[in-house]
Amino acid sequence: MVDYQIPEWLLKSQGPLPPSNSAKKTRRSFVEKTIDAFSGFLMDDFYSERIASANGLMQGLHPGIKVITTLLLIFVAVSLRSWELLLLFNLWILMLAYMSAVPLSTFLKRVWLVVPIFTGIIILPTLFNVIRPGDPLLVLLHFSGQHRLGPWVLPGELTITSQGVRGAVIFILRVGACVSLSVLLTLTTRWAYLLRGFSMIRIPTLFINILEMTYRYIYVLLQSASDMFQARMSRTVGRTGTGEQQRFVGNAMGALWSKAFILSDEVHAAMLSRGYTGTPRTLKNAKIRGLDWFWIAFALLVTIILLGGDRLVS
Amino acid sequence: MHIPDGYLSPATCVVGYAIMIPFWATAVKKVKAVLNTKLVPLMVIGAAFSFVLMMFNVPIPGGTTAHAVGAGILAVILGPWAATICVSIALAIQALLFGDGGVFAFGFNCFNMALVIPFVTFFIYRTFAGNSEVTSNKRWIWGAIGSYIGINLAATCVGIELGLQPVLFHTAQGVPLYSPFPITVSVPAMLLAHLLMAGPVEAIATGGITRYFQLTNPSIIANQISARLAPAKAAFNKLWYVIIALIVLVPLGLLAPGGAFGEGEISDIKAAFGFVPAGLAALRGHYHGLLQDYGVPNSPFAASAPDLWHQSVGYYLAAVVGIALIAGITLLVTRMIAAREAKKSET
Repeated sequence: MVDYQIPEWLLKSQGPLPPSNSAKKTRRSFVEKTIDAFSGFLMDDFYSERIASANGLMQGLHPGIKVITTLLLIFVAVSLRSWELLLLFNLWILMLAYMSAVPLSTFLKRVWLVVPIFTGIIILPTLFNVIRPGDPLLVLLHFSGQHRLGPWVLPGELTITSQGVRGAVIFILRVGACVSLSVLLTLTTRWAYLLRGFSMIRIPTLFINILEMTYRYIYVLLQSASDMFQARMSRTVGRTGTGEQQRFVGNAMGALWSKAFILSDEVHAAMLSRGYTGTPRTLKNAKIRGLDWFWIAFALLVTIILLGGDRLVS
Repeated sequence: MHIPDGYLSPATCVVGYAIMIPFWATAVKKVKAVLNTKLVPLMVIGAAFSFVLMMFNVPIPGGTTAHAVGAGILAVILGPWAATICVSIALAIQALLFGDGGVFAFGFNCFNMALVIPFVTFFIYRTFAGNSEVTSNKRWIWGAIGSYIGINLAATCVGIELGLQPVLFHTAQGVPLYSPFPITVSVPAMLLAHLLMAGPVEAIATGGITRYFQLTNPSIIANQISARLAPAKAAFNKLWYVIIALIVLVPLGLLAPGGAFGEGEISDIKAAFGFVPAGLAALRGHYHGLLQDYGVPNSPFAASAPDLWHQSVGYYLAAVVGIALIAGITLLVTRMIAAREAKKSET
């Protein structure tokens, strides 16, 4: 009789894997990029599932309450007009993330690496008086007198305006806060619970039902599409022309729909055979506990303080 | 094309949802009437398909790749109402799982991508290729052209939505609170990217998939799901009025909620700063004038409203230029295709 023992390394719980590998990026073909996009989706999704099942502040809240308070707080972020309060608000969200066992590096990467780059580029031109006139803050260049360029009149100097800087800071902080809040909600809530939360804000069950099932079938279709691209990659030698590549993508998409369409028939038959009549049924929602009421009261308090403070400051 | 939260003011977001809710309700009603219990499985697969499609990298000349929205092809195979549901669901998952596109901005994101693209694509496809044979070249060509125009009109809508923000929502010092660029900048910027990059990709996806079905599985094109789910032709004639009305009303209509929400009343501003900025006073005066008269605003030429007058002219110019550009390019592409077809038939 052999005594089976589970080795110790198998019992150890493993920390979450990093969301995506930042291997050296050479110029990749569209096939590789697509396969990467597919696997990136799976990795990101598994990663957030792990965080969502960790033990933290946001994970402990009722999903419906979390959805409602997140919407309330996004509203606060969208309404705030003073950069000081927006900064404070962002720091508070960071704290929430930290309390919810979200690794700060992940959070910062997802929010504060992406937002300043994309939003920053968009907002950059408004810093200069050539684009949007304002009070000079920093003079960059002196031109010799005014220049006329057709209908445009170039001012005598190129400056960064104080209005421009203020506007840019407020804008980036606001977009950052909004993105932070929705990232925090989705990182700390499993998909199924999140949808139950949405049913609390009166989103019709039909839509929630479709959302729930779509999420599952995305995996099926992703697998199917991924197989197609892997097969193509393993059979491609040498270079191919753009026209041929475009035809392949078109065909792959078409083939995917053909498969998906048959699948929808099968799913339909399966649903009918299990007694589906057109009205979806769901399990009862989780109970709202004392902590949840406290959280709602707290979120309301934060809202009142921030919006009230905003009126005073600006 | 996904607008994140923070770019649009809360008032604008409310408008977006207000526009979409009746469309969602109608879409579900129409699709359910045809599909019955098949509604859920088909919409599920359609939404999952649309989601996966958005991850495909489509190669474009020059060695780079870009993503398609996939709303055009869904409109061709399932009809515009079903496409609206499928793309909305796919966008919801993108917004919720990955933060692609904001939660508040979801209404307008759906308007641009789940409503404008499918309906425009289908309208053009149906008008020009609706009666042609299932394997006719007309079908994939008009599908491609339709989705090209659709995505560019959607981009124009995004430009208008973003471009209205600095005019409607700024502090008394003139610092814009949301997206900072006026329509004269945002519309051309959006259009440039979509005319050159996203537009061709969407056209390749729609045309390529349609062509694939014609060659391998024509029943999907001939399948009457899209025909049964399609609005009657008469409804499409009305669509022109809606489009014209939208072009006229969008700049005017969005001024009203802007004046009513978020901004302090004139008396507040006076109390806080001791004076009323001239532009704001003009805007407010104009707004009241519009309400009182219930018709044509009392002369925007009046000296009291020069700012607004200039801005309105800007909107219309931008809208007209955008539409003219799209129409012009459409004609050009049509000509080129016609010429090629003629050449083919000669040889």
